Parts: sequence; structure tokens; C-alpha cells
Amino acid sequence: MRRLFGIETEYGITLEGEDNIDPVQQSMDLIKSYRREDFRPMWDYSGEDPFRDERGFRAERLQEHPDEKKYQEQDRSRNIPFVEVKSDLILVNGARLYNDHAHPEYSTPECQSLFQLIAHDKAGERILHQCALRQSEKLGKPVLLYKNNTDFHGHSYGCHDNYLMRRDIPFDELKDGIMPFFVTRQIFAGSGKVGIETESGMSTAGFFQLAQRSDFFRVEVSVDTMHNRPIVNTRDEPHADGGKYRRLHGIAGDANMSEYATALKIGTTALVIDLIEQKRISGNFAIRDPVGTIKEISRNQTYEWLFKLKDGRSISAIELQRAYLALAEKHLAGRDSETDWVLLEWESVLDGLEEDPMNLSDRLDWVAKKWMLETFISEEGVSWDDAWLQSLDLEYHNIDLEVGLYYGLEAQGLMRRVVTDEQIEAAIHHPPPDTRAYFRGKSLDRFRADVKSVQWDSITFNVKGKPVAVSMNQLANPELAETYNRILDESSTVEALVRNLGLK
Amino acid sequence: MSEKEFITLRDRRERPTKPIGPGDGGDDDGPKRPDVNKPDTRELLRRMRRVDKDQSRRYRQRTGE
Repeated sequence: MRRLFGIETEYGITLEGEDNIDPVQQSMDLIKSYRREDFRPMWDYSGEDPFRDERGFRAERLQEHPDEKKYQEQDRSRNIPFVEVKSDLILVNGARLYNDHAHPEYSTPECQSLFQLIAHDKAGERILHQCALRQSEKLGKPVLLYKNNTDFHGHSYGCHDNYLMRRDIPFDELKDGIMPFFVTRQIFAGSGKVGIETESGMSTAGFFQLAQRSDFFRVEVSVDTMHNRPIVNTRDEPHADGGKYRRLHGIAGDANMSEYATALKIGTTALVIDLIEQKRISGNFAIRDPVGTIKEISRNQTYEWLFKLKDGRSISAIELQRAYLALAEKHLAGRDSETDWVLLEWESVLDGLEEDPMNLSDRLDWVAKKWMLETFISEEGVSWDDAWLQSLDLEYHNIDLEVGLYYGLEAQGLMRRVVTDEQIEAAIHHPPPDTRAYFRGKSLDRFRADVKSVQWDSITFNVKGKPVAVSMNQLANPELAETYNRILDESSTVEALVRNLGLK
Repeated sequence: MSEKEFITLRDRRERPTKPIGPGDGGDDDGPKRPDVNKPDTRELLRRMRRVDKDQSRRYRQRTGE
């Protein structure tokens, strides 16, 4: 699709049968089990500043969930260095695997093919599951990992979709263009949830809603990610040339198990960003109350999803999505095969949602989960407020292929796939060939002993005892990325590499 | 992996089929078409029944991003 994008997913972690685990310790141990040799910290944190705001200032503080206060003493008492707590690993496929606060997180390598990204997202699941198997053996009890977004007790964790885009698009234009889309895309991208939550806990059991995350959005726009979350996040970390690019850090989405739903979520969002960059979206889409509407849509039981626009008109989520789709068809159709796939499927899914959402149980997570739960209710004679259903909701997201309920559906051919197991296996071991992730992954694969440090847009080598940094912040340009990747392939040593790059 | 390879395989879709069991097929009534509208849910239900009813009650996480 000719845009760099990636997905970062925080996983839930627990031990089977345990009520009280230390998720920080468990996450650290899990990640370190990926490599059998001693952990060597290589991630360079100097390029990260979550306080920096797209609106042109630096926040003084970031808000925290009230429960975090009780954990801070425990964190301090660990007396473990920051880099050990983070346990950052950079994988040969270009991905980053680390402990983000209290969750194992897999950040895919940057991709520019939609279906490659789906393969890498799934590769992350497989890698973490392998880590879980190793830890389970070591601990003598199963380590369980969930690709979801809630613990059903008011604690949410994220699956963020990221898109590199032009810096010269004013942030307000980006915000105005993407906000209505983020509020409504849950009708096909939601993962489904049993219950309604507040940050202080579960408020209503026995209720099925479209999305896991929608309960947790409290403001329209802010730099925060852990409390009072915004629909549009303003974190300004481009991980590329900040003069040319910004990164849309999308936090208003669910972790999807369905390959198809992930592809539609990422593909449609990438097309909407194209429309924003081309200045095709007018203010007519502005929603009167985005924070209220994102919850109302998720909780609506009629599936009409009606709400008010700022100009007073009443519109449905399907109609608003169709308006985005019409612009995308008009301005982007025929550009490349992936764009056309997204356009075709976007229309097909909106048609399906209008006709009967339950016909989409082979594609959309929330529909598949609802169908699965209804099947169980019918067979077992339980009611929607039975606590068992919430446990089944959780187990839908278990990434173990042998026991996870999503994978039970997939094993019976009930879920439509967009990549093959062979493509996922390849993504575990190989970076995308056409982005800067190739340079990162292959550098580690071939010259690990000579790599001093890594961040998203640079890599520093030890060359005859001296650090030599290779900047990759211009490598969003695919031609330049291809050149760097070719030079890497042609260089037999680190010395030759830096010489061929003209750095020495 | 090329983009083309991904695209070519993107539509692989396995339809649910009902395995042949007692009462299905046989000399008397001839082979039957698989019932694609009513997928066999026995294996899925087996997985679901094995889920601990209290799993979500016990499941506690710290907030993330």
C-alpha cells in the first residue's frame, strides 16, 4: 500500500489457576526465555519521548490509573535496572519484543504490504506462544497469554496501529479527518466483549458489546494512553525524520484475532489517511459527541448505530463508513491490488452489516464471538449473565492454538483467513524485504556481535572499537530503503557495510 | 515473500463440513451433501466446556496503554 505501518500489541499474562501473579516479573521472564543465552540490552531509548505532543508542546506529566499507586512501591522494591525491567529484544524479523510496563508487547516490523503485516502480527502470537511453552515447562504450570484488551475489572491494555504520514498535514486536519472514522470503525473492527466496564471495575455483566476498548475512552484528544484515554492520541514520536513525517499512533482499536478483521482495520485506516493527505475529507463528518458516541455504538443492541453529527444531522455508523468508502473508491481505486482488496471487502462488509451482521461470523471477531457464545448458551442452557460467558470471552483470545477458542473456530474452517501458516512461519524468521525493518533484522541476524544499540530509526555498530551509527530516519523512502538493504546484502563484514554506506 | 504471493492466497476459505458418522451415508440412502449451514460444533463446544468458569474472575492485569 506504499505506506509504512505496524501494529504493537500488549498481551495479557497469567498463570493457570493463580489468583495473584506479579505480571512484571512474569513478563520479564517470558521475554527473556526467547533467547537462551544471557540477555544483552541493545535497545536505545534516546529516541523515545512519550510526553511530546503533536500539538507542539511537551506534557508535564502523564496520567496513571489510580490502581498504579499501590504497585509503585512493589516496582521500586524490585531494585532491578530499567533495562532489565524492559527486557527489550530486537528480533531477526525486525520486530521488537519487550515488557511494556506489565505486559509482554510485540511490535511488528514496519511493513508496507498489508498482508505481510497480517503475517507479522500473527508471527508475534506464535513467537510469544513459544516463549509461554518454555516458561510453562520451567515453572511447571501453564503460562497463559491473551491477545485482548481488558481484564474485565477496569484495566485495559492496548493494541495500537501505527501509520507514518506527512508532517505537513496540520494535526487538526488529521484529527478532524480520523476522529469520525475511529469512532465508527468498531462496527467491523471490534473484538466483542461480555460486560460494560468503568475504570473502577465491571459495572454491568450479561451484556454483549462490539468492542473491548470503547468503555475506556474519556476524552477526544490527548497525549495520555494509560488513563483518561483519548480517541485520538497526540504522542509525537515519528521514529523517522520529524521534519517530513509524523506517526499516527492509533490507540482506539481492539486487538483482533481474525486475520480478516485485522486486515480490514489496518487497510481502511491507511486509505483514510491517504484521503486526509489528499485533503479529500470535509468537516461534514464531525460527530457532535465523539466520546459518548464511541460507547453508544459499541453498546447498541439494535445494530442501527445512529448518532448525531455536529451539524445536527442524524446518521448511522454504516452511512458514515460508506461516505469514507465512497471517497476512497473515487480517489484511490485501481492504485494497487491491496487497495482494491480493501475497497472490495470494505463494501462487502458494510453491505453485510446492513443486511444481517451475523452473516459475517466468518470474518469479524465480534460477530464470531457472539455466534460462539450464542451456540454455547443454546447447548448449555446458561443465560447471558452467567459468569462462564465472560471466561469464554477471555479464552477466545488465548493464543494457544490447541485450546484458544478463536483457534477452535479456525481449526474447524469457520474463520476466513488472509494469510497461510507458511507465510506466518516465514514472518517469524524473516523481515519484510522492502522496508528498513529488513536492514534492522538482517543486521542483527548477520552481525549481532557487532551491534551496539538499536532503535526504530537507527542502528549503531561497533567498528574496530568505535561506535558508528547508521541513521535510518530517511528510510521511509522505499527507494532509499531498497538501496540500504541491497548494500547490506552485498557487504560481508560490518567494516565493509559502513564503508559501502559511505560512513567511513 | 512477495506481495503477489500474499494476494494470491488471500481468499483461501475453508467451508465447514459435517464429518460422516453413524446414520450418515450407507447403502440405503446414498451419500449426502455436507451441511454447510450447520457447522459441526462438537469440537468447539468441547473446548468451551473445558474453560474454567472462574477464569475471568481470577484474571487481573495492571493497566497498560
